[in-house]
Amino acid sequence: MRILYIDTSSNYLYAGIVEDDKCIAEIKEKFGQSLSEMTLPRIANLFEQAKLNPKEINKIIVVNGPGSFTGIRIGITIAKVYAWSLKIPITTITSLEAMAISSDSDCVHVPMIDARRGYVYTAIYDKNYQILLSPIHIKLTDLENKLKTIEKFEVISNDFISIEPFPQKYTPNIIKIVNFYKNKKDINPHFVNPEYLKLTEAEEKHDS
Amino acid sequence: MKDMYILGIESSCDETSISIVKNGREEIATIISSQIDIHKDYGGVVPEIASRQHVKNITFVLEECLNKANMTMDDIDAIAITYGPGLIGSLLIGLEAAKTLSFIYNKPLIPVHHIAGHIYANSLVNELQFPLLAVVVSGGHTELIEMDEHYKFTKLGGTLDDAIGECYDKVARVIGLEYPGGPKIDKLAKIGKPTYKLPIPLHDDSYNFSFSGLKSAVINLVHNEKQRGNEIRKEDLATSFQKTAVESITSKTKKAIIDRKIKNVIIAGGVAANSGLREAMTKLTTELGVNLSIPSMKYCTDNGAMIAAAGYYAYKNGRIADLSLNSKSQDTLK
Repeated sequence: MRILYIDTSSNYLYAGIVEDDKCIAEIKEKFGQSLSEMTLPRIANLFEQAKLNPKEINKIIVVNGPGSFTGIRIGITIAKVYAWSLKIPITTITSLEAMAISSDSDCVHVPMIDARRGYVYTAIYDKNYQILLSPIHIKLTDLENKLKTIEKFEVISNDFISIEPFPQKYTPNIIKIVNFYKNKKDINPHFVNPEYLKLTEAEEKHDS
Repeated sequence: MKDMYILGIESSCDETSISIVKNGREEIATIISSQIDIHKDYGGVVPEIASRQHVKNITFVLEECLNKANMTMDDIDAIAITYGPGLIGSLLIGLEAAKTLSFIYNKPLIPVHHIAGHIYANSLVNELQFPLLAVVVSGGHTELIEMDEHYKFTKLGGTLDDAIGECYDKVARVIGLEYPGGPKIDKLAKIGKPTYKLPIPLHDDSYNFSFSGLKSAVINLVHNEKQRGNEIRKEDLATSFQKTAVESITSKTKKAIIDRKIKNVIIAGGVAANSGLREAMTKLTTELGVNLSIPSMKYCTDNGAMIAAAGYYAYKNGRIADLSLNSKSQDTLK
């Protein structure tokens, strides 16, 4: 069983190939604006490193957001076209759950992504990674009120968010994420789509 | 020589389209998923909404296209992709899909400029004859391009501000027509009379165009008439506007044909569907005794077939990209 993991939801590319509980090739690199240019060349490198043909993959796990709208679409497009082409199973994980699962701390996990204008994308997971608050686009001050009832929690974020406790840096534990998700229900590639958690500005104005 | 089947992917604006074209001339299958109904509510294309739709559509369009052609990806020889210009978020969906297919199936990736696509839409109807003048008229472009041979482009001139199609849509909005207003103006123009006086834009010796002045003139005219309590005769305004806009294109085209000793003229882009422009260009080229090629209506709007057709000639010209190909919102046709 070989699984390709792709996360382009931030300005980092996180990707890896996991074979029988071993990560045989991985990349964690900051790209920012050049993510659209560099994601496929870097994925091609992974296959070279692992000495695999692009078709020798049995499953794809892709991060579907929240995060950078353009970033999420890059990973999702690659992943759904890939899975559709090879007719292999595909499943999605949120960026927030990937962040929580990668933490080994023995407490409640609060992963967070800056959504600008005082808002964040966040979710709350208990120490066993069970969901307490589903992914949400929320005002930071409102989130802080929710967190008052939680005794011990950590904040995980790579963004500059002013919150107590000071956020822990996030580096994905790809093997742990993949192991968590490898038996999750597959989705038809046609219906693998981003979860933005936020309408476009035009829709917000139009609806109000 | 072996036949070459190219898969063309186009997602530069609000249409997700994929086609398969044989040897740059013969359309095998085309699927177009248009978002016009979605953007109509907003009076124009909303880039973020367009990007969101493309990612939803992409594999459906790909699957339908291959099914329609009764082919698989293994039957495809190369993948042609619109890398620009266009809406960057929209372009990226097609680009990543094309790169992924190129990677998995180890097929050449051919970068195609959107305007080259519009020009080569003609190749699906008639074989291109050189030297030719391409009159590119669309929502994003108004350009005169000269070609001495396949896939060699020399820009003679272009718009200094708004594109002609953009001007049509804005004028349509001012006189209360729903987006996309261009075709609606064309329809009204057939029944009206050119009674409103509008200035002919950039009436000079260059090959350039300007449409923002014409747009402002229409806005001012409508405003002034309202102030005077006069009802706007929409069909007459449409006729007046269309006559002026089309004259601007034909006068510069005429100059280019004579100066550059052009023998073949093609019209390319969405505004090539405009009946007023088609008639005026037919009249002009007949008068000057040069050939005119106009793409059939279905190839005037954005589609994957024109990208695949252009891709064939780009490939013959050695234009092949690697997986680091990126989208460009702006780029000069070279």
